[in-house]
Amino acid sequence: MNFIRDTWYITLRDLRSRIRMPVFIFMTLFQPILWLVLFTQIFKSLGGMLGPGGGSYLQFFAPGVLVMMALFGSAFAGFGMLMDMDTGILSKMLATPVTRVSIIIGRVLASTIVILIQALIIVIVSLIMGVHLKTGAPGVVFSFFLIALLGLGFAAFSNGLALLLKRQETVMAVTNLLTMPLMFLSSMMMPPEYLPHWLNTVRQINPIDYAVVGVRDLISNGYVWHDLWLSLLVLAALFVVGTTFGTMMFRARAE
Amino acid sequence: MAIIETHQLAKIFPGDIRAVDGIDFEVDEGEIFAFLGPNGAGKTTTIKMLNTLIVPTSGSAMVAGLDVVKSATEVRKRIGYVAQDVGVDEHATGKENLTLYGHFYRLDGNTIKERVKEIFDLVGLTGSENRMVSTYSGGMRKRLDLAMGLIHQPQVIFMDEPTTGLDPQTRASIWEYIRDLVSSKGMTIFLTTHYMEEADHLANRIAIIDLGKIIAMGTADELKKSIGGDVVTVSPCAVKDDECKEFIRRSDAVLTGKPFVTGTKPTDGELAVYVNDGASAIPTIMQLLSGQGIEVKTITMSRPSLDDVFLKYTGKTIRAQEGTRTSFAQIRRMRNRRQQG
Repeated sequence: MNFIRDTWYITLRDLRSRIRMPVFIFMTLFQPILWLVLFTQIFKSLGGMLGPGGGSYLQFFAPGVLVMMALFGSAFAGFGMLMDMDTGILSKMLATPVTRVSIIIGRVLASTIVILIQALIIVIVSLIMGVHLKTGAPGVVFSFFLIALLGLGFAAFSNGLALLLKRQETVMAVTNLLTMPLMFLSSMMMPPEYLPHWLNTVRQINPIDYAVVGVRDLISNGYVWHDLWLSLLVLAALFVVGTTFGTMMFRARAE
Repeated sequence: MAIIETHQLAKIFPGDIRAVDGIDFEVDEGEIFAFLGPNGAGKTTTIKMLNTLIVPTSGSAMVAGLDVVKSATEVRKRIGYVAQDVGVDEHATGKENLTLYGHFYRLDGNTIKERVKEIFDLVGLTGSENRMVSTYSGGMRKRLDLAMGLIHQPQVIFMDEPTTGLDPQTRASIWEYIRDLVSSKGMTIFLTTHYMEEADHLANRIAIIDLGKIIAMGTADELKKSIGGDVVTVSPCAVKDDECKEFIRRSDAVLTGKPFVTGTKPTDGELAVYVNDGASAIPTIMQLLSGQGIEVKTITMSRPSLDDVFLKYTGKTIRAQEGTRTSFAQIRRMRNRRQQG
């Protein structure tokens, strides 16, 4: 009971402080729209390559933007924890009877809530821009579930990284080192059939690609259960690994 | 009754760094107890063991009758912690900061509301409850920080260097709040400081800590009396060079063992001489030194301060000396008065 209460208060605190940063609101709301508009303009001519039934590049790329935003939103989630460590807020909290793991879980939940809000914005803007939702509302809910798993797993991982490395510069470097390949070594921006052979092989060990494939099926192709089960399995594993790592690092910090 | 009690409490960090090296002390209920020592003496490490943030390597500590390791959660409910860094949320109002901690201490909504009002009044922040902390001044933040350790009316408050980096005015007001807390709420306060005057003005009892060990403990008066008499500080050099060191060594040799000298302590550029009567000792000291061809550049006399206590027990000054120093001219005047009277 205390765990749920404490987690809720930490989540609220995190969301509250985000809402109060104008830059954050701008980033949260406009960044996804910017990506969506910009990328589809750049790669507009690729639409023709997608073949019959493939539709526009927008239809192909919108699901990719959903995953991209989830990846970036969660991969940098640990910076809030770093800030609490630097300002001494974390130590101060740990000296109270607050449930230990609530401090990290609350933060991870807040990051995930923000990611889902962004996802909703992307879906709405995509609809306005002319994307057709193949599986309708249930498919969107399903894809949000996949995105939530990805967000929770990566946000927890990022928090763990912050607790492990402790320094802003190092966490930033490692995060960039991880997110860039994760994004580019996938079929997020380019259909698999146009990727070089090696990349097509590498992407199979990239959890982000499983999210991309799953979400794209739901939004643009339909219920391709073979893909979806795999996607669900990989993202669930990512969730377990991420949260285990995060809470382990947190326990080590809190002794 | 002892509310804090340690037995051979020690924390050894990897690399055999003995941050706290087996300390024993007791703090009574309602006391203001100060840990006085330079940076790196082990003050913060001690506080963090007592408030459950780090686990001791060996030894034990009881706070409010509970073991800090075995009953950590129970201890946390009974203590407040004011860290060296101001740990307040910039993007929240003062009230929101305080309310969050009220929830952490499992207080119900109504109690939190009452306490918030009461505590804002106590620390003089009434009227600023609903302002963002980012608009607070440094002093206001520190007071809010202090308030956050009080919301659950703890039995013991741990304050780690509560006034470091604050301007003298804010420092004075923080001291006032601390005294208020003890007199009005009967709280016990354990604080660390490297400010002599803070320990002197605020604490009922002081433990001097250096290199992880307690080297002296008692009231400020007891500690000062342990030195006795006056402190005459002699400096035979204008610049601190090797020649200066030699002068100090020779001065020390001349004065040590003289019947009116109770002790000496050489430091960087100066020699502290402990005597029973400073005014009558000064001419004698001057004479003795000039007889050895040592020219005294400055000579000052003071009542023993905690600085001198610290110097006597550790052989070093805690930081740039301060306190009630008397100039040469003042000493002469004092001496004249004494002779006339």
